[in-house]
Amino acid sequence: MSTLTDLRIAAVGDIHLGEDVRGQYRKKLVGIEERADVFMLAGDLTRHGTLEEGKLVADELRGLPIPVVTVLGNHDYHSDLEHEIADELRDAGVIVLNDDGVVIQCGEHKLGVVGGKGFGGGFAGKCASEFGEREIKNFVSHTRGIAESWKMALKEMEADQRVVLSHYSPIKETLEGEPHEIYPFLGSYLLAEAVDTAGADLILHGHAHKGSEKGMTPGGIRVRNVALPVLGRAYAVYCLTCAESPSHDEHQH
Amino acid sequence: MEAPQYVAARVQQALAEDGRTHELGIRVDIRGDQLFLRGQVSGSEQRERLGQVAHETAPELHVHNEINVVEATEPGEDEHLD
Ligand SMILES: [Fe+2]
Ligand SMILES: [Fe+2]
Repeated sequence: MSTLTDLRIAAVGDIHLGEDVRGQYRKKLVGIEERADVFMLAGDLTRHGTLEEGKLVADELRGLPIPVVTVLGNHDYHSDLEHEIADELRDAGVIVLNDDGVVIQCGEHKLGVVGGKGFGGGFAGKCASEFGEREIKNFVSHTRGIAESWKMALKEMEADQRVVLSHYSPIKETLEGEPHEIYPFLGSYLLAEAVDTAGADLILHGHAHKGSEKGMTPGGIRVRNVALPVLGRAYAVYCLTCAESPSHDEHQH
Repeated sequence: MEAPQYVAARVQQALAEDGRTHELGIRVDIRGDQLFLRGQVSGSEQRERLGQVAHETAPELHVHNEINVVEATEPGEDEHLD
């Protein structure tokens, strides 16, 4: 017999920390372990992607009592120091995804997280395609490559629940509130298509500060825009219902 | 005289690209010699810097800094996805 338990995911994006707000966000994380089993950040942790800001973010996230998973956002790439920033975060105990996945043991459950920065290109019917100038082809193939990596990582992953963590949006519903003209710079449907193909339980993204929190992929996977200005609160908590994990011999092969 | 749309675009670009601000989501409107900044940021220093960069980019205009400082509140209610 299986009972139902919740896997609680705290999530936020676009915290854009800088020296002037040092220590302030950390204060909001006090007690997070009572509200959630894992904390996920959807990128844009910094303002300019400098090493100083990267270190500051690492300090704010260091030593939290629950696992912390993050991706980087476009701001974190701005100074071409994304690898250095990722290293700082890893030194602080944060899991940084870069178009790959991780499985976290949360109590009884195996939570799989796949993700990365993502990229733009637009949405089905109104999107860029791999045609014409080299610059346009590079733009589109960058997104296509990312989507392909996520699909592979999801397919290979063995987990009870799977969450995709992105900075850019996979759908346009969660961009509602942003000017339509900039949608192609806010996300790409290729990300949603990849996740719909491989399957997942939830997609989290940020980047669209003026967007809306809730949406769904064409395949019916829930999408949440967790950009801090959208949430208006320190983080959101999403509960995924899991069947109490069956012992391994009950698995179908 | 430069059309106000181009001036507004130039200011918006400066807010995004200036090393002091790097703020992408600020709306810039110009009416006559008045420039309006609207949007949300996480701290009052950032708001002041945005006003400063806008002023430097269009010194001939009077800047109205209507940007809101939004402090993240405590986490609210959980959402159950089932
Ligand atoms: Fe952002
Ligand atoms: Fe962003």
